[in-house]
Amino acid sequence: MSHQSINQIHDEGLIEHFRMGKGHRVFILTPSYPFMFIGIIKDVRADVVDVWVETTHFSQLENRIWHIHIDNIEVFYIEREGEPEIPKLSEDYY
Amino acid sequence: MLRRYHVVGIPLRIVVNNFGDHNPDGRIYVLKENEHEVRELVRKNPFTPVELVQPLTIRACAEDTVEILFENQLPFKAGMHFQEADYDVLDSDGADAGYNPDTTIPCGNSIIYRIYASREGTYFFTDLGNISSTEEGSSIQGLFGALLVERKGSTWTDPVTGGTLNSGVYADIHHPFLPSFREYAWYFSDQMEINDLTGNRPLNPMTNQEAESFHGVNLRYEPMTNRKRLIEEGVVCPDCDSEEVHHDSWVFGDPATPILRGYKGDPAIIRLIHGGVKETHVFHYHVHQWLGDPTNTQSEILDSQSISPQSHYDIQPLYGLGSLHGAIGDAIIHCHLYPHFGAGMWGINRIFDTLQDGSQCYPNGVPIAPLKPLPDRPEPPKPTPERPGFPNFIPGKVGFKAPRPPLGIVGGREMTVLEKNAAIPNARPGAVFVEPTLDDNVNVVEFNVSCIEMPVIYNKQGWHDPKARFYVFDEDLDDILSGKKEPEPLVFHVPAGTAIRFNYTNRLPHILDGDAFQLVTRTYESGFHIHFVKFDVLCTDGANTGWNYDSSVLPGETIQYEWYADTELKAFFFHDHLFANAHQQHGVFGAGVIQPRFSEYFDSHTGKETPRGTQVTVSHPLIPDYRDFSLFVQDFTMLFDKDGCPIQPPPFPGSEDDPGVFGVNYKCEPLKFRLGEEGDPAYSFSSYVHGDPVTPILRGYTGDPIRIRLIQGAHEESHSFNVHGLKWKEERPDLGSHFNSQQHTGISESFTFETELKGPGDYLWAFETEEDVWLGTWGLIRAYEELVDDLIVLPDKSCPPSPTTPLPCPTGKPPERAEPLSTLPPHADPCAPVRRYDVVAFQTPIMYNSYGDHDPYGIVFALAEDVEDILSGKKNPEPLVLRANVGDLVEVSLTSLLKFDLFPFKDGIHPYPPVKEQGFYPPSLRISLHTSLLDYDVRTSSGDTVGYNPDQTVGPGEVITYRWFVDGQHGTCAMWDMADLRNHRSFGTFGAFIAEPRFTTYHDPYTDEEVKTGANVVLKNPLVPTTREFVLIMHDGVRLEDKNGQLIVDPVDGIIPPVEEVDDVDTYDNGSRGFNYRSERLINRYRELPDLSKLFSSEEFGDPATPVFEAYPGEAVTFCLTNPSERRRAHTFHLHGHYWKFDSKDLDSRVQSFEGHIVAGFTADLRLIGGAGGVYNFPGDYLYRSGNIMWDIEQGMWGLFRVHDKFQPHLPKLE
Repeated sequence: MSHQSINQIHDEGLIEHFRMGKGHRVFILTPSYPFMFIGIIKDVRADVVDVWVETTHFSQLENRIWHIHIDNIEVFYIEREGEPEIPKLSEDYY
Repeated sequence: MLRRYHVVGIPLRIVVNNFGDHNPDGRIYVLKENEHEVRELVRKNPFTPVELVQPLTIRACAEDTVEILFENQLPFKAGMHFQEADYDVLDSDGADAGYNPDTTIPCGNSIIYRIYASREGTYFFTDLGNISSTEEGSSIQGLFGALLVERKGSTWTDPVTGGTLNSGVYADIHHPFLPSFREYAWYFSDQMEINDLTGNRPLNPMTNQEAESFHGVNLRYEPMTNRKRLIEEGVVCPDCDSEEVHHDSWVFGDPATPILRGYKGDPAIIRLIHGGVKETHVFHYHVHQWLGDPTNTQSEILDSQSISPQSHYDIQPLYGLGSLHGAIGDAIIHCHLYPHFGAGMWGINRIFDTLQDGSQCYPNGVPIAPLKPLPDRPEPPKPTPERPGFPNFIPGKVGFKAPRPPLGIVGGREMTVLEKNAAIPNARPGAVFVEPTLDDNVNVVEFNVSCIEMPVIYNKQGWHDPKARFYVFDEDLDDILSGKKEPEPLVFHVPAGTAIRFNYTNRLPHILDGDAFQLVTRTYESGFHIHFVKFDVLCTDGANTGWNYDSSVLPGETIQYEWYADTELKAFFFHDHLFANAHQQHGVFGAGVIQPRFSEYFDSHTGKETPRGTQVTVSHPLIPDYRDFSLFVQDFTMLFDKDGCPIQPPPFPGSEDDPGVFGVNYKCEPLKFRLGEEGDPAYSFSSYVHGDPVTPILRGYTGDPIRIRLIQGAHEESHSFNVHGLKWKEERPDLGSHFNSQQHTGISESFTFETELKGPGDYLWAFETEEDVWLGTWGLIRAYEELVDDLIVLPDKSCPPSPTTPLPCPTGKPPERAEPLSTLPPHADPCAPVRRYDVVAFQTPIMYNSYGDHDPYGIVFALAEDVEDILSGKKNPEPLVLRANVGDLVEVSLTSLLKFDLFPFKDGIHPYPPVKEQGFYPPSLRISLHTSLLDYDVRTSSGDTVGYNPDQTVGPGEVITYRWFVDGQHGTCAMWDMADLRNHRSFGTFGAFIAEPRFTTYHDPYTDEEVKTGANVVLKNPLVPTTREFVLIMHDGVRLEDKNGQLIVDPVDGIIPPVEEVDDVDTYDNGSRGFNYRSERLINRYRELPDLSKLFSSEEFGDPATPVFEAYPGEAVTFCLTNPSERRRAHTFHLHGHYWKFDSKDLDSRVQSFEGHIVAGFTADLRLIGGAGGVYNFPGDYLYRSGNIMWDIEQGMWGLFRVHDKFQPHLPKLE
């Protein structure tokens, strides 16, 4: 019988969900700077998700790995086959 | 810690610039230790500014006790009143208020004021012993200063010597574990007496008339007129005109006004203080931005900020001096109101990139004073011959205009060797000495824009500007010039994170021709100055400032600028900086809007993608799509009628005495043209009767999110933007911020209001002071229910239903009457509890004070049960105050009992208080009730008969029942009539609605019985503390008669000591003023006892007629403050001895003891921190009052808040 608390079970579930999403595109909102990430889940280490970030609010912070603590993720969506796609955001304006 | 200062108030000659302009009757505070020296220096230098003659600026640390020994050597009783401070009002108020002991002192005496500096901030101080607005007064002649309270543990040093400092407007502030910063105190002041070298009032060499009055900084001003004279006399720059070189140090050397010196990246705070008496100024600081509330990281970013008399703000430039990109050079700081700027209200922030140790000179040979680097920052490099640093690498010629920048002008010059040494590695047009972008891989957009002159027609009556000047996209040039496309202010849209390259061509004629408004002016160069974005100030400022380059071009030339939009910003202002005072009011303004990254923009009519336009549809892959609307209000608009006659020309050409009229986006829709056959003002806004206005109609479908970009394009005055039926978060990024439906604005300020079209119908937007609306600054927001041909659907919204009925069109007849009870407000809960009020509008005399000043033609709203008592004289009417709780559905039945015979101006001409362009506008017998902030169906319950909405006014004997839903704890909401702006509002057709928390009951403060109305109530609630609520309705534009029935012509009749006439009374200064239909005009008291220091004393005169609110120490108190009327002159409100959160709902909000720029529609809830008596709960009489010495306080805009030390039998204590 498990002696895990409900919070531990919740966190484990979340970590497992991200682990299953490795290699998929992800959309994440966090309450702290820079607030939004779109990219590919590269790895999950303990409770930290490594994301190759293609888009944030600021271009200077893109095209690099971000290590995002799972507790800091308020909203997320992992794109999977056959499900709605996360928009590909382009700056090719004029 | 106890700190002591010995301050002396002295009369002193104040020399305000190097031209010898001076105030022979100046009055200042100085430290005792400096008194002798300052007197001696002034005696020896009668025509040269003396550094020590400046507003007294002393410092302390938070939690210090500061003892001020004040010694009065002025020829009248004087004192020091400290804002923001905690103090015992009985011994340290610096006033003689109510029944307090007198804490002003006569000449030759001394007094100790004990100030508890509980928290950091600017403790502005001024005198209340002599509140005359004339040259015999004190504040107007320079008697003000500030105690700057720093963080606990701070120390301060002299920026030049590094030594200790007892007083001074500049200091370097240090802290054991916080960064050091530069502190600059910047005091605006206005209207001070000025004579020139000859002892006469200065003349304007252009007009040969008296020059503009004093508008200065730190008791200095540098007017254009003086510098122009040097050009005219051939001393300097003979090929120049004047305005284009007004700020040019190459021509004239540095100005006498403040130069705030620092090194690139230095943290800094400008303590912005308004020590003046009259105008609400707009502080603008080139290159830099700051948080509107420095204590709240989620507050709006600003680069222009309005400031009213006796108020203050901290300007903390983000990223330090030079901003994010590290600009170097001269960043001009000025009042953006152009006549004030021209009159000399400007200075410079000089950002050096090399060490200044006293060994260097400016190009004109004037030594550069040493400047100590901040101790915790790296020392800047020493200048070398190859790299001398700013400004000595710029190839200018002293006595001539600043050189043009390298690279920028098409076909222009390359860099010199010294310039190359100073340049960035990839120097390019418009970005030579600093890299504005943050990386090399930045997205770039390019625009081609020109400035042209051509006639523009403002309305269907043929009002037109024959010499309109405005920016156009080059792609639109042919269509605009051929009349295919109507001119509008230029607006472009770009996404955040974009570098903007701008090719700007000057296609203006060399000459701005003369007419009844202006003299011929040689406006031979122009530029494109931009706000908010990052740029190289030396060569892309679009200006000509200090030792920078002149980044403008001659006619026919093109200049290239580059700016970087680092993040999503608001709309930001742009305009010409070279001849702005001459031609900006002709339309030379526009805006860029930095939209969220990845946005796309579409023409809302055609759906074609476009980056430009005042109305676009914005689509974004992640956030909801929205409509984007830009509105530009303008004044000093110099129009001619269809017959070629000038409309409201000034007294003489070239005068800046409020010439012209007003507009929005180069249009206006004056009310006098909208009377129709019925001749009833109640239908002036109705499109059924008159068709749609020519002013912008902002269009969308029901449910569309919208963003309104509010910008003022020209030129000198305050305006009050209101939207009826919609509201927005005051601080847009901050979810904790409260809602607003009104915004004061001054030129160059920019606001974004984000909201949604919650229901179908026409929403009125208006710059809603009386004269503005009268002259046509209003329009509509139209929300359609069904699909229309020429409006695309937001890409992320489903298509509205196909049309089932044709769109309404003008009928020439008043619309059907609204049926408010047929619908619910959009957000109302169908099961909401209903609270009902029966309100009657009727005419009755109102007695304004015990001296017999009265309004014989008052029009008031009152509860039906009070009408008899009011009409029989048992009750002197008060403005109606209604309340309801969150979640209540409020049904207000309004009955009109208005009678034509009781109106004073039956011939339809309302002579006083006046407006420009008087016209026939007979009194309406219809009336209505409009409230701000509440939720209602705009088609039935807004109290407006606007656009194609049904009639929401009532005629005599008719009743309408409005339905309002209280959808939030909005606190104070403004409430007024919308049927007849000219013939009703001056007489009292306003009140307030207070939206309280759920479960609140309202009680009489004396009997404890539950009440339905009243300005003074006790609020009881099971969950929040019992609170006293005091409602103050601050109003102006009142028409009073004295006890003999003689018209009182305020402000002139109320000035102390009495005067025959005064200069500078604008239309919107006219009228009496007060609180809650009462006015304690000081002239009445002065006639009884001509002692200025005693005029607030209840011992001498009894209590004032204005409300005397009572409480016991520590009791919870909220002041609900609103201004529902009517004049454009903005007011300040200050309550002595207390402070509150600027945003009453936001814990992060700054704390302050004033409310600024109060104009029509303003609302605020002042929850007193510490309750009655402040945090120390000191008992006594506290003044509440306007901060405008000219002309509010004399005119009776003051009252008392009494905190009793002992139990009073008539006043039960709160439980």
